[in-house]
This record gives sequence, structure tokens and C-alpha cells, in this order.
Amino acid sequence: LSGKRGIAFDEIAKSAFEEGRGRLATQLLNYEPRAGRQVPLLMSMEEDEIALDKAIESTDSDLVFYVLLHLKKKLPIATFFRIINDRPLAYSLIETSARNIDTELLKDLYYQDDRKSDGANVILRESLMQENFTTRIDKLKLASKLLKDSKEHALDASALEESIKLLTIQESLERDVFEETFVGLSLNDTIFKLTRLGFHPRANKIRSEFKMPDKRFWWIKLRGLVAKREWA
Amino acid sequence: MVAERATEFDPSKIKDQALRDLCNVLEGVRGKKSLVVDKALSGPLGLIAQPSLLQDYGVVQLHWIEDGSIDYAASKNILYIARCTAKNAYSIASQIKNAPRIPGQDFEHSLFFVPRRTPLCDRILEDEGVFGDVTINEYPLYFIPLEPDVLSLELDDAFEDLYLHKTYTSIFNSAKALMLLQQQYGLFPRITGQGDKGKRLLDALLRMRNEAAAEDASTSMALAPSSIIENLVIIDRETDFVTPLLTQLTYEGLIDEIFGINNSHVELEASVVGAAMQGPAEATGRSVGTAPAAPQGKKRKVLLEGSDRVFTDLRDNNFSAVPAILKKTALRIDADFKKKDDYKTVSEMKTYVTKVLGPAQKDRTSLSMHFNIAEIIQKHINTELFEKTLEVQQSLIAGYSSTQQHELMAELIARGASLETVLRLLCLYSCVSTGFKPKDFDLFRREILQGYGYEHVLTLDALDKVALLQSRTVAGSTAAAATRTNYDYLRKPLRLFSESVNESDPDDIVYVYSVYAPLSGGGSLNPNSAGWKGFEDVVKNVGGKTFDEVQKGEDKAVRARMILDGQNEKKVTVVFFLGGITYTEIAALRWIAKQEEGKRQIIIATTGIINGNNIIRAATTAARTKPRQT
Repeated sequence: LSGKRGIAFDEIAKSAFEEGRGRLATQLLNYEPRAGRQVPLLMSMEEDEIALDKAIESTDSDLVFYVLLHLKKKLPIATFFRIINDRPLAYSLIETSARNIDTELLKDLYYQDDRKSDGANVILRESLMQENFTTRIDKLKLASKLLKDSKEHALDASALEESIKLLTIQESLERDVFEETFVGLSLNDTIFKLTRLGFHPRANKIRSEFKMPDKRFWWIKLRGLVAKREWA
Repeated sequence: MVAERATEFDPSKIKDQALRDLCNVLEGVRGKKSLVVDKALSGPLGLIAQPSLLQDYGVVQLHWIEDGSIDYAASKNILYIARCTAKNAYSIASQIKNAPRIPGQDFEHSLFFVPRRTPLCDRILEDEGVFGDVTINEYPLYFIPLEPDVLSLELDDAFEDLYLHKTYTSIFNSAKALMLLQQQYGLFPRITGQGDKGKRLLDALLRMRNEAAAEDASTSMALAPSSIIENLVIIDRETDFVTPLLTQLTYEGLIDEIFGINNSHVELEASVVGAAMQGPAEATGRSVGTAPAAPQGKKRKVLLEGSDRVFTDLRDNNFSAVPAILKKTALRIDADFKKKDDYKTVSEMKTYVTKVLGPAQKDRTSLSMHFNIAEIIQKHINTELFEKTLEVQQSLIAGYSSTQQHELMAELIARGASLETVLRLLCLYSCVSTGFKPKDFDLFRREILQGYGYEHVLTLDALDKVALLQSRTVAGSTAAAATRTNYDYLRKPLRLFSESVNESDPDDIVYVYSVYAPLSGGGSLNPNSAGWKGFEDVVKNVGGKTFDEVQKGEDKAVRARMILDGQNEKKVTVVFFLGGITYTEIAALRWIAKQEEGKRQIIIATTGIINGNNIIRAATTAARTKPRQT
């Protein structure tokens, strides 16, 4: 039968299923080339994992995500994670949608898989969305703590610690220098702005605190001085 | 599904169909209506229809879905047109739920999903409890012909979808779009290509062929190999990231680099567009997108396309040839104006006014704008930052990587070059040199984080995941080697680097980057009707899977097809760029098409047009979502 065109295997399978012959129905469905018809039927037959695999085969991400939504509602979260873990497309789809709407799910997912750097990134992203200064710092601390545990991310961990240090300095600069914003500027831009405003000792102090290479410092200082003259 | 017979390849039919479909969408809701559109669609829709079309079809107001505010007093018919994404489904659902309930006045909500309706979006509307309150339909918008030889899906997020998030929605949409071509012109007799995602596209396409066969036994006719199209070449952007990372040096390429071209439109200062252009520019500002309430800034949107003769002469040339062409055009227009003395009789004068004077006046307005644009570009490329950037790029392409390039890159960071410029250079370095040495990798990461902000931990992580910016320990691993393009090896056999190209009368596609021939441009040349034969060593060194598939049909159907279509001498090659194409690559392919004129017609198809800045911005998304801090 399989060589013939125009045979609706989904309908044959449906009748088989209704007759109570589930296995035969599943086997018959293997001949149905149209994923759009195959997948919903498999779901109604509660052959969820097969439905998911068939959806993945079809390259139709929307169909895959449709099955995933259904599974997420139906299954305990650990089982759900297990199912998506060895299916890269399913994993990516959940990851991407969770990034936009459900960061807690994302944290659980990364925790379960021990993906420390990804987990820390979620927290870092949350930190960037924070308007409250203290919460922002707290989130950064949390993210860097998460990274510190593993050797390969030591560099990222120290970068985040540096960013906490810089934010704190910037906050105090804002208190000392009226009507100027510093929080959120990069290290280079902070030094540039301080030079432009004429706060050279402070710029020097930050430079040594962050061990900025000489060449870079002088370029930034030069730019700052040029900008200062222009605006004076 | 279209099953129209065709005897030659004619992309304008696609546009006509898209416009007809749009009219049907608008007619689908009777009387006055409020239109609510997904912002991502405003550009593509603007390429299909004039804004006046909306008024003709009773649209009283236009809103963006993203804005979430509709003036319900204007009309009781609300028509949504949106790409079928979960996000859109949620926003639309919440807007429908929040529509005011006024006794005796029921709102009619209709929704057209682009390009198709899916069970997923139905499910979301169902879960949100609005499924019964809305009529759902689909608007099958796939390829949009930007030019007679360029078809684009205009998917802005294809790069993220394919390489960053790996969700592959654009593969499915690409396959659907190519399938529509097959339904109209017959099967691609041969499909060759390169790249892992490209292979996925091939698989999806073959699968859809089977699905279509199952759908209806009688469509077997349409599924015989085409006698108009000779082959399809699929190029996965991932096989060549180097090309888009380089600064494009053609006229159109530089406009895209400096101003940015979106959906064939560029936004320019009113003073650049010129006083004379302003009137017509407003009338032909074809973006349906300009919402009635949109504030009129000093910038103007200008459509850049083939109907502008001056631009057509300029666009694909290396910028160094542009001043001479502008001068020649000025002389030509001047001559056109002077021709009036040649026409004596009344009917001759009439011909002169319509055939010569009209176009010449149009050319003159366009020419003054392009003089202004060229002047800005010239200023830009004369800056020291631009020169240094180009110096690093060209050394890296030539295969030199020394401490000198490292110092130049660090200097650019210290001098405040844009994040895009700097990351493009670092990625370029990583791609051509199989990653950074761990020590240098750490050093440059530090430079980026201190120079542009620690939030770019996220950007660097994204670039690492796309394999654009890596440490040698990761990039050099055996697993990575299989998916990585070996530029060191390919430089010679493909003659990627050359210092002796004639920029004003090019003899090689190298001219689009002055010293570099886009690998992707050369790659598409090689697999012709004979497949990859003779190039096995070369393609082995290009990243990802190589594929070559011959599609056959039943003998009876093939014969019938041949009788109906006749045997065309000139065959069409469709080159599909999955994940985006650059203007330089388009120019290079047009140059090749010109050499093969008479034998072969090259049609370029793609998910969208990209440049290096778009790639870097895709990676920066996470770090960019930063609101104002207190």
C-alpha cells in the first residue's frame, strides 16, 4: 500500500484505533506522510512521545511547540524535562519561549542540567531589567556566586564582581558630582566622562583600581580632553 | 495553493498574487474597519501595496499590535494581520479580551495569520478564552520580489532563529516558499547545497513533496521536474560568516553599512533627499507602516530599487567607481535636456516631453540625492577609524595575523569605535584563524567588557554559541572542525584573496570587497547541473554537510511537462541563501549572471538581507533590553 498515492492513512488508523487496536493504528500512522494529520491523532491516542518525534521530523516548529505545550500541562515537570532533554529542537523551543515569558522555568531547566553559565545569564538578564539599584547588585552577586563554583567560568565570575565594583563607584560618583549620570556606563566611558568633566584624580584612581593598560587609558584621556576643549 | 502554469520564470506574478491576496484579506471584512498590524509586517506589506490601498478598502485607522491601543470608537470591525507567533497570539488574545463591552454594540474581530494558521496559535487563543470571538484566517505571504532577480522572505529574525536559538521556524517557512515555486514551475531537477541547516531545508523540502503527493493524487503533473528551472542551490549562511562580517564596499553595500536598508527603504535626512524629492517621496512613501498618528521627523524614507535608473547604474559597483558614474550620468541627463532642439513638430515635441523630458527630470532629482549620499559615504570612509578597520580586515583576509592586528583592534576599542565594528573584527579574526589563543581570548573579552559594559557577558556568550567568537580550545576541537569552514585551506583554490582587481571594470567578483571574493558567491558558481563534481576537496573544507539531490518524476509526467512547457534554452538557477544574504553577494551574483547571460538566468532567493551589524545586533539582544536605571 505504501507506494500508492492519495491514501489517507490517518483515516484508516483512526478507524483502527476506534476498534481498539491501538498498536495497529500507530503502525499504520507511520505510513501517513502528512505530519499535520499524524501528530494530533497520535496525541489523541496518547502516544505523546511518538507524536513529539513525528512533529520534530516534520521540521514544523509550531507543530513541535504545540505538542510541547500539551505535554507541559499534562506531565510532572521532571518528566517533561527528561523528554525534552534528548531532543535538541524541543529543548531550544522551550528555552526560547521561557526566556520571554517564564524565567523561573528556565532556571529550573538549567539547574537540572547543571548548566551554570546559562543559569547565571538568566539572573544577569534579570539584573539588567532591575530599576532598583540594590536588587540589581544582589542579582549580580547571585549570578557571580553561581559561576564561581566552576573553574571554566572563573573569568565570567570575576567580570561580574568587577561590574559590582564599578556600579558601586558610579553610584557614589552620582552622589558627589551633581546632575551627572554614571550608573550603567562602561569602565572606558566612565573614565572618559570624568576626564571631560575635569575630575582627573578620580579617573586615575579608577584606572589603577581596574588595572587599565596604559595605552588604553591615554587614548581615552586624549579623547576626553579633546571633548572638553570643544565644549568649553 | 497556486497551480498556475508558467512557461518562463516571472517573479512579478508572485507580487501580483500577494497583492490580490491582501485585497482579499481586506475585503474579507465588509465596510469600515480598524486595521491592527504586526510591526514586523509593516515593511513587507509596504513593498506589496501603496498606502492608498488601505483607504480604498475602507480602513479608517491603522494601529500596531505592539502598541496595544485601539480606538474602538472608530469602527466596530477590528482586523488583525500578524505573523503567526506565540507572542502575537498572546497579545491579540489580551487585546480582544480587553475590548470594551458596550451593550448593543458588538465588535467583530477578524484575524489573518501570516503566512499560515497553526494549531499552536489556535490553541493559545482557545486557552485565553477568545477563540469563539474571532474569525481566524490565513494570508499566505512568503516570497516578496524585491527586484526582478531577488526574492526575499523578509524574515528579520531568521538569523536568531537559525543560529542563536536553533528553533528553525525559518527553515519551515523557506521550504514552504520553495515548495510554492515547485508547484508553479515544477520540481527543481537538482538540489545541491552546503551546510547543516541547509541540509535540514532540503529534508523539509523533500518531505513536503511527499506530503503534497499524499494530499492529492492528481497533482502529480505539477510534481514532475521543471523544464524551466535547472537547479536549486542552497547556501547556509553558517558556511560563510566571514563575508557578512567584512565591510561591504559596493555603493548599495555601503549605504546599508552606514545608513541601514530595511525592506528596500533607507531613512535619510531631509536635506540629503533634497527639496525636489520631498514631494514625490511623500507620495510614494509606500510603507503602509506610516501610522496616521506617526510624528513627522526630519528623516525621510526613500525606496531604493531598480525602477530608479540612476541607482541601478550605481548600486552594484565598487564605491571607487561611483564618482565617475555620477559624472557620466550628469552629462547624459544634460544631453537629454538639450535634445529638445531636435524635436520640431508638435507630435515630436509630445514624444520628447513624455519619453525624454519626464524620465530625465526624474533622473535629475535622483542624481542630486545620490550625489549627497555619495558625499556622506566619502566622508565616512575617509575617517581614520574606517581606514584602520579596513586595514585589519584586509590583513586578516590575506592570512596575516600578527601582533600588529591585535594592537590595532585594541586601539579601535580605546578610541571608542562602535561595538558592532569591533565585534565584527574580533569575530572575523576568530573565523579565519580557528579561534583566539586562550590568552588573547581572555584579553579581548576584558577589553570588550570594560569598553562597552559588563552586560556584554551575554553578547560574548551568544557569539561563542554561534561559533563566531571562540577560544582555540573550543574552536579547534575535532567536533567543531566538522562544522567549521577552513579559510586557510580555501584561500588558494578558490582565489578568495586578490590584490589586483580592476574596481571600475571588474574582471572578478573580488571587486565587491576590493580584495576578497565572497566564498558564498564562488561556492554557488561551482555546483551547476553537474553537481559538486571536481570540487570535492573544496567543499570538504567548507563547514557542514554537503548535499546533492536529483529529483525525478514519473516518465509520463515528465514528458507531458516537456510538451506543455517546451524546451527552454535558457535555464534558471535559483540560489537560496538560508540565514540571509548581503548586498555585496547579490552584486557578485549579478556579475556572474551577466557573464552567463544567454545560457543561464540566476534568481536569488533568501530569508532576508543582512549585514555584519545585523548579526552582531542579533547577538546583543539580551544585553540591549536595559531600561533606564535609577
